Amino acid sequence: MNEFDDNEIATLLRLKRHEQPPPGYFENFLHEFHRRQRDELLRQPLWRICLERTHNFLFQLNVSSLTSYPAAVAAVLVCAAIISLKIYQGPEAATVAVQSRSVLSATANGEGQWTLSSPVATRVFSTQPLRKSSESAHTHSRGSGTPPRYVLDSVPVSYEATFKF
Amino acid sequence: MDKPRTDEDQQLVARTQSGDAGAFDQLVVKYTPRLYGLVYNMTSNHEDTNDLLQDVFSKAYKAIRGFRGKSSFYTWIHSIAVNMTLNFLKKRGRRFQLSLDDVDASIQNDKEFLELTATSSPVREADLSELQRRLNEAMMKLSDEHRAVVTMFHIQGMPHAEISKILRVSEGTVRSRLFYANRQLQNYLDEFRKNPVA
Repeated sequence: MNEFDDNEIATLLRLKRHEQPPPGYFENFLHEFHRRQRDELLRQPLWRICLERTHNFLFQLNVSSLTSYPAAVAAVLVCAAIISLKIYQGPEAATVAVQSRSVLSATANGEGQWTLSSPVATRVFSTQPLRKSSESAHTHSRGSGTPPRYVLDSVPVSYEATFKF
Repeated sequence: MDKPRTDEDQQLVARTQSGDAGAFDQLVVKYTPRLYGLVYNMTSNHEDTNDLLQDVFSKAYKAIRGFRGKSSFYTWIHSIAVNMTLNFLKKRGRRFQLSLDDVDASIQNDKEFLELTATSSPVREADLSELQRRLNEAMMKLSDEHRAVVTMFHIQGMPHAEISKILRVSEGTVRSRLFYANRQLQNYLDEFRKNPVA
Protein backbone atom coordinates (compact mmCIF):
# COMPACT_ATOMS: atom_id res chain seq x y z
CA MET A 1 0.00 0.00 0.00
CA ASN A 2 2.80 2.37 0.89
CA GLU A 3 4.84 1.58 -2.19
CA PHE A 4 4.84 3.82 -5.21
CA ASP A 5 2.76 2.26 -7.93
CA ASP A 6 3.02 3.00 -11.65
CA ASN A 7 0.24 5.59 -11.55
CA GLU A 8 1.81 7.53 -8.72
CA ILE A 9 5.17 7.55 -10.44
CA ALA A 10 3.52 8.69 -13.64
CA THR A 11 1.72 11.47 -11.74
CA LEU A 12 4.91 12.56 -10.00
CA LEU A 13 6.70 12.72 -13.33
CA ARG A 14 3.89 14.76 -14.87
CA LEU A 15 4.26 17.23 -12.03
CA LYS A 16 7.78 17.89 -13.24
CA ARG A 17 6.14 20.02 -15.94
CA HIS A 18 5.82 22.67 -13.25
CA GLU A 19 9.60 22.99 -13.03
CA GLN A 20 10.05 26.17 -15.03
CA PRO A 21 13.05 28.35 -15.92
CA PRO A 22 13.38 31.84 -14.37
CA PRO A 23 10.72 34.38 -15.38
CA GLY A 24 11.42 36.09 -18.68
CA TYR A 25 13.61 33.26 -19.93
CA PHE A 26 11.42 32.36 -22.89
CA GLU A 27 10.93 36.03 -23.80
CA ASN A 28 14.70 36.57 -23.95
CA PHE A 29 15.47 33.31 -25.66
CA LEU A 30 14.86 34.65 -29.17
CA HIS A 31 17.09 37.71 -28.58
CA GLU A 32 19.82 35.43 -27.32
CA PHE A 33 19.38 33.24 -30.39
CA HIS A 34 19.81 36.24 -32.71
CA ARG A 35 22.85 37.42 -30.77
CA ARG A 36 24.54 34.03 -31.04
CA GLN A 37 23.76 33.87 -34.76
CA ARG A 38 25.45 37.24 -35.30
CA ASP A 39 28.48 36.16 -33.25
CA GLU A 40 28.76 32.97 -35.23
CA LEU A 41 28.55 34.89 -38.49
CA LEU A 42 31.38 37.19 -37.42
CA ARG A 43 33.58 34.25 -36.52
CA GLN A 44 33.14 32.59 -39.91
CA PRO A 45 35.89 32.99 -42.53
CA LEU A 46 35.06 35.14 -45.55
CA TRP A 47 35.17 32.26 -48.04
CA ARG A 48 32.56 30.39 -46.06
CA ILE A 49 30.21 33.36 -45.97
CA CYS A 50 30.65 33.78 -49.74
CA LEU A 51 29.99 30.08 -50.28
CA GLU A 52 26.82 30.17 -48.20
CA ARG A 53 25.54 33.30 -49.96
CA THR A 54 26.23 31.77 -53.36
CA HIS A 55 24.41 28.65 -52.29
CA ASN A 56 21.47 30.70 -51.07
CA PHE A 57 21.42 32.66 -54.30
CA LEU A 58 21.39 29.49 -56.38
CA PHE A 59 18.69 28.04 -54.17
CA GLN A 60 16.52 31.10 -54.69
CA LEU A 61 16.98 30.77 -58.44
CA ASN A 62 15.74 27.21 -58.10
CA VAL A 63 18.78 25.76 -59.79
CA SER A 64 19.64 23.50 -56.94
CA SER A 65 19.57 20.52 -59.27
CA LEU A 66 22.47 21.99 -61.20
CA THR A 67 24.53 22.41 -58.07
CA SER A 68 24.12 18.83 -57.03
CA TYR A 69 27.26 16.79 -56.62
CA PRO A 70 26.68 14.36 -59.53
CA ALA A 71 26.10 17.28 -61.90
CA ALA A 72 29.19 19.07 -60.61
CA VAL A 73 31.34 15.95 -61.02
CA ALA A 74 29.99 15.41 -64.54
CA ALA A 75 30.74 19.02 -65.46
CA VAL A 76 34.31 18.72 -64.17
CA LEU A 77 34.85 15.51 -66.12
CA VAL A 78 33.54 17.05 -69.35
CA CYS A 79 35.80 20.09 -68.91
CA ALA A 80 38.79 17.85 -68.22
CA ALA A 81 38.05 15.80 -71.35
CA ILE A 82 37.80 18.91 -73.55
CA ILE A 83 41.04 20.37 -72.18
CA SER A 84 42.92 17.09 -72.66
CA LEU A 85 41.66 16.83 -76.26
CA LYS A 86 42.88 20.36 -76.99
CA ILE A 87 46.30 19.56 -75.57
CA TYR A 88 46.83 16.33 -77.50
CA GLN A 89 45.54 17.66 -80.78
CA GLY A 90 48.77 19.63 -81.50
CA PRO A 91 51.79 17.60 -80.31
CA GLU A 92 53.98 18.46 -83.39
CA ALA A 93 54.09 22.16 -82.72
CA ALA A 94 54.93 21.56 -79.09
CA THR A 95 57.87 19.31 -80.02
CA VAL A 96 59.37 21.87 -82.40
CA ALA A 97 59.14 24.53 -79.77
CA VAL A 98 60.96 22.39 -77.24
CA GLN A 99 63.73 21.46 -79.67
CA SER A 100 64.44 25.04 -80.68
CA ARG A 101 64.60 26.02 -77.03
CA SER A 102 67.22 23.35 -76.33
CA VAL A 103 69.40 24.57 -79.18
CA LEU A 104 69.32 28.08 -77.81
CA SER A 105 70.23 26.97 -74.32
CA ALA A 106 73.10 24.85 -75.63
CA THR A 107 74.69 27.83 -77.30
CA ALA A 108 74.10 30.04 -74.32
CA ASN A 109 75.92 27.71 -71.97
CA GLY A 110 79.23 28.12 -73.80
CA GLU A 111 82.17 30.04 -72.33
CA GLY A 112 82.13 33.77 -72.95
CA GLN A 113 78.64 33.77 -74.32
CA TRP A 114 77.40 36.22 -71.68
CA THR A 115 78.78 39.60 -70.74
CA LEU A 116 78.34 41.67 -67.60
CA SER A 117 79.56 44.89 -69.22
CA SER A 118 76.10 46.32 -69.30
CA PRO A 119 73.82 46.63 -66.27
CA VAL A 120 71.30 44.68 -68.31
CA ALA A 121 72.73 41.29 -69.17
CA THR A 122 72.82 41.10 -72.92
CA ARG A 123 73.44 37.98 -74.83
CA VAL A 124 76.26 37.94 -77.39
CA PHE A 125 75.39 35.50 -80.10
CA SER A 126 78.19 33.38 -81.42
CA THR A 127 79.33 34.19 -84.89
CA GLN A 128 79.97 30.55 -85.61
CA PRO A 129 77.36 28.95 -87.77
CA LEU A 130 75.18 26.47 -86.08
CA ARG A 131 76.00 23.86 -88.66
CA LYS A 132 78.87 23.33 -91.03
CA SER A 133 78.58 24.14 -94.69
CA SER A 134 78.89 20.50 -95.55
CA GLU A 135 75.74 19.83 -93.60
CA SER A 136 73.89 22.05 -96.02
CA ALA A 137 73.87 19.06 -98.31
CA HIS A 138 70.91 17.88 -96.30
CA THR A 139 68.80 20.26 -98.30
CA HIS A 140 68.96 17.92 -101.20
CA SER A 141 70.14 14.41 -101.90
CA ARG A 142 72.93 13.77 -104.29
CA GLY A 143 72.57 11.19 -106.96
CA SER A 144 69.49 9.54 -105.61
CA GLY A 145 66.20 9.60 -107.38
CA THR A 146 64.31 10.89 -104.43
CA PRO A 147 62.94 14.41 -104.65
CA PRO A 148 64.84 17.17 -102.80
CA ARG A 149 64.02 17.54 -99.11
CA TYR A 150 64.27 20.89 -97.40
CA VAL A 151 64.93 21.19 -93.67
CA LEU A 152 64.49 24.49 -91.90
CA ASP A 153 67.11 25.63 -89.45
CA SER A 154 66.00 25.77 -85.84
CA VAL A 155 67.42 29.31 -85.56
CA PRO A 156 66.49 31.53 -88.48
CA VAL A 157 69.42 33.18 -90.18
CA SER A 158 69.00 36.83 -90.87
CA TYR A 159 71.40 39.33 -92.38
CA GLU A 160 69.55 42.27 -91.10
CA ALA A 161 70.64 44.15 -88.02
CA THR A 162 69.17 42.68 -84.85
CA PHE A 163 68.15 45.97 -83.36
CA LYS A 164 66.82 48.96 -85.16
CA PHE A 165 66.45 52.30 -83.41
CA MET B 1 -5.80 18.97 -33.41
CA ASP B 2 -2.67 17.67 -35.05
CA LYS B 3 -3.55 18.74 -38.60
CA PRO B 4 -3.69 22.54 -38.11
CA ARG B 5 -0.43 22.40 -36.18
CA THR B 6 1.22 20.58 -39.07
CA ASP B 7 -0.26 22.90 -41.71
CA GLU B 8 0.85 25.98 -39.85
CA ASP B 9 4.33 24.54 -39.39
CA GLN B 10 4.54 23.64 -43.07
CA GLN B 11 3.73 27.20 -44.06
CA LEU B 12 6.33 28.58 -41.67
CA VAL B 13 8.92 26.10 -42.92
CA ALA B 14 8.17 27.02 -46.55
CA ARG B 15 8.51 30.71 -45.76
CA THR B 16 11.81 30.09 -43.95
CA GLN B 17 13.10 28.11 -46.92
CA SER B 18 12.29 31.01 -49.20
CA GLY B 19 14.39 33.33 -47.05
CA ASP B 20 11.92 34.71 -44.49
CA ALA B 21 13.91 34.62 -41.24
CA GLY B 22 10.90 35.97 -39.34
CA ALA B 23 9.02 32.76 -40.05
CA PHE B 24 11.76 30.77 -38.38
CA ASP B 25 11.54 33.11 -35.38
CA GLN B 26 7.90 32.12 -35.05
CA LEU B 27 8.91 28.45 -35.03
CA VAL B 28 11.52 29.19 -32.36
CA VAL B 29 8.99 30.97 -30.16
CA LYS B 30 6.47 28.21 -30.67
CA TYR B 31 8.74 25.27 -29.88
CA THR B 32 11.08 26.70 -27.24
CA PRO B 33 8.95 25.90 -24.16
CA ARG B 34 8.26 22.36 -25.29
CA LEU B 35 11.83 21.60 -26.30
CA TYR B 36 13.09 23.22 -23.13
CA GLY B 37 11.08 20.72 -21.08
CA LEU B 38 12.43 17.85 -23.15
CA VAL B 39 16.10 18.82 -22.90
CA TYR B 40 15.87 20.03 -19.30
CA ASN B 41 14.38 16.77 -18.05
CA MET B 42 17.09 14.82 -19.86
CA THR B 43 19.99 16.92 -18.51
CA SER B 44 18.64 18.17 -15.14
CA ASN B 45 20.71 21.29 -15.63
CA HIS B 46 19.34 24.67 -16.66
CA GLU B 47 22.58 26.11 -18.13
CA ASP B 48 23.28 23.01 -20.21
CA THR B 49 19.69 23.08 -21.41
CA ASN B 50 19.97 26.70 -22.50
CA ASP B 51 23.17 26.08 -24.48
CA LEU B 52 21.84 22.91 -26.04
CA LEU B 53 18.58 24.55 -27.04
CA GLN B 54 20.41 27.41 -28.75
CA ASP B 55 22.51 24.88 -30.65
CA VAL B 56 19.43 22.88 -31.60
CA PHE B 57 17.73 25.88 -33.22
CA SER B 58 20.95 27.00 -34.84
CA LYS B 59 21.43 23.58 -36.38
CA ALA B 60 17.80 23.43 -37.44
CA TYR B 61 18.07 26.83 -39.14
CA LYS B 62 21.13 25.73 -41.12
CA ALA B 63 19.53 22.43 -42.09
CA ILE B 64 16.03 23.63 -42.84
CA ARG B 65 16.70 24.07 -46.57
CA GLY B 66 17.24 20.33 -46.73
CA PHE B 67 14.00 19.59 -44.87
CA ARG B 68 11.70 17.97 -47.42
CA GLY B 69 8.71 17.37 -45.15
CA LYS B 70 8.89 13.58 -45.10
CA SER B 71 8.08 13.88 -41.40
CA SER B 72 6.38 16.76 -39.61
CA PHE B 73 8.49 19.69 -38.44
CA TYR B 74 7.47 18.71 -34.91
CA THR B 75 9.05 15.25 -35.27
CA TRP B 76 12.06 16.65 -37.11
CA ILE B 77 12.95 19.31 -34.52
CA HIS B 78 12.37 16.88 -31.66
CA SER B 79 14.70 14.36 -33.34
CA ILE B 80 17.42 16.99 -33.59
CA ALA B 81 16.93 17.95 -29.94
CA VAL B 82 16.97 14.37 -28.64
CA ASN B 83 19.99 13.33 -30.70
CA MET B 84 22.01 16.40 -29.77
CA THR B 85 21.13 15.94 -26.10
CA LEU B 86 22.07 12.25 -26.14
CA ASN B 87 25.41 13.11 -27.77
CA PHE B 88 25.98 15.82 -25.19
CA LEU B 89 25.18 13.46 -22.31
CA LYS B 90 27.65 10.89 -23.63
CA LYS B 91 30.39 13.52 -23.65
CA ARG B 92 29.42 14.92 -20.26
CA GLY B 93 29.46 11.52 -18.59
CA ARG B 94 28.79 11.45 -14.87
CA ARG B 95 30.60 14.69 -14.09
CA PHE B 96 27.80 17.19 -13.63
CA GLN B 97 25.79 19.00 -11.02
CA LEU B 98 22.05 19.23 -10.78
CA SER B 99 20.86 22.73 -11.59
CA LEU B 100 17.14 22.46 -11.18
CA ASP B 101 14.50 24.99 -11.99
CA ASP B 102 12.06 26.06 -9.34
CA VAL B 103 8.64 24.48 -9.20
CA ASP B 104 6.13 26.95 -10.52
CA ALA B 105 3.51 28.17 -8.07
CA SER B 106 0.80 26.94 -10.40
CA ILE B 107 1.44 23.43 -9.09
CA GLN B 108 -0.74 24.29 -6.09
CA ASN B 109 -3.72 24.45 -8.43
CA ASP B 110 -2.85 21.30 -10.35
CA LYS B 111 -5.65 18.76 -10.03
CA GLU B 112 -3.27 15.80 -10.02
CA PHE B 113 -1.11 17.38 -7.36
CA LEU B 114 -4.11 18.02 -5.14
CA GLU B 115 -5.33 14.47 -5.57
CA LEU B 116 -1.92 13.05 -4.88
CA THR B 117 -1.40 15.01 -1.69
CA ALA B 118 -4.97 14.45 -0.48
CA THR B 119 -4.85 10.65 -0.56
CA SER B 120 -2.93 8.43 1.81
CA SER B 121 0.25 7.94 -0.13
CA PRO B 122 4.00 8.17 0.40
CA VAL B 123 3.93 11.49 -1.45
CA ARG B 124 1.85 13.01 1.29
CA GLU B 125 4.34 11.93 3.91
CA ALA B 126 7.32 13.35 2.14
CA ASP B 127 8.27 16.92 1.72
CA LEU B 128 7.49 17.86 -1.84
CA SER B 129 10.75 19.61 -2.59
CA GLU B 130 12.70 16.69 -1.18
CA LEU B 131 10.61 14.32 -3.26
CA GLN B 132 11.32 16.38 -6.35
CA ARG B 133 15.03 16.21 -5.65
CA ARG B 134 14.84 12.45 -5.16
CA LEU B 135 12.84 12.01 -8.32
CA ASN B 136 15.41 13.95 -10.30
CA GLU B 137 18.23 11.91 -8.80
CA ALA B 138 16.35 8.74 -9.67
CA MET B 139 15.87 10.02 -13.22
CA MET B 140 19.59 10.68 -13.55
CA LYS B 141 20.34 7.10 -12.51
CA LEU B 142 18.50 5.86 -15.58
CA SER B 143 20.45 5.40 -18.78
CA ASP B 144 20.23 8.32 -21.23
CA GLU B 145 18.01 6.38 -23.63
CA HIS B 146 15.59 5.30 -20.88
CA ARG B 147 15.43 8.84 -19.52
CA ALA B 148 14.61 10.15 -22.97
CA VAL B 149 11.66 7.77 -23.26
CA VAL B 150 10.39 8.55 -19.76
CA THR B 151 10.65 12.27 -20.43
CA MET B 152 8.78 12.11 -23.71
CA PHE B 153 6.06 9.76 -22.51
CA HIS B 154 5.38 10.76 -18.90
CA ILE B 155 6.43 14.41 -18.80
CA GLN B 156 5.77 15.56 -22.36
CA GLY B 157 2.77 13.28 -22.86
CA MET B 158 3.78 12.01 -26.29
CA PRO B 159 2.22 8.83 -27.67
CA HIS B 160 4.36 5.74 -28.24
CA ALA B 161 4.14 6.10 -32.03
CA GLU B 162 5.53 9.64 -31.96
CA ILE B 163 8.38 8.61 -29.66
CA SER B 164 9.27 5.71 -31.93
CA LYS B 165 9.46 8.09 -34.92
CA ILE B 166 11.66 10.55 -33.06
CA LEU B 167 14.03 7.89 -31.75
CA ARG B 168 13.77 5.76 -34.92
CA VAL B 169 13.11 2.61 -32.93
CA SER B 170 10.07 0.33 -32.92
CA GLU B 171 7.07 0.96 -30.69
CA GLY B 172 7.88 -2.32 -28.93
CA THR B 173 11.29 -0.96 -27.99
CA VAL B 174 9.68 2.20 -26.64
CA ARG B 175 7.26 0.16 -24.51
CA SER B 176 9.96 -2.13 -23.15
CA ARG B 177 12.20 0.85 -22.29
CA LEU B 178 9.29 2.46 -20.47
CA PHE B 179 8.52 -0.68 -18.52
CA TYR B 180 12.14 -1.10 -17.44
CA ALA B 181 12.50 2.58 -16.54
CA ASN B 182 9.32 2.52 -14.42
CA ARG B 183 10.64 -0.46 -12.45
CA GLN B 184 13.93 1.33 -11.88
CA LEU B 185 12.24 4.52 -10.70
CA GLN B 186 9.95 2.54 -8.44
CA ASN B 187 12.94 0.85 -6.78
CA TYR B 188 14.78 4.13 -6.22
CA LEU B 189 11.75 5.89 -4.76
CA ASP B 190 10.85 2.93 -2.52
CA GLU B 191 14.35 3.09 -1.07
CA PHE B 192 13.67 6.73 -0.30
CA ARG B 193 10.36 5.85 1.40
CA LYS B 194 11.99 3.17 3.54
CA ASN B 195 15.02 5.28 4.37
CA PRO B 196 14.09 8.96 3.89
CA VAL B 197 17.23 10.36 5.56
CA ALA B 198 19.70 8.63 3.24
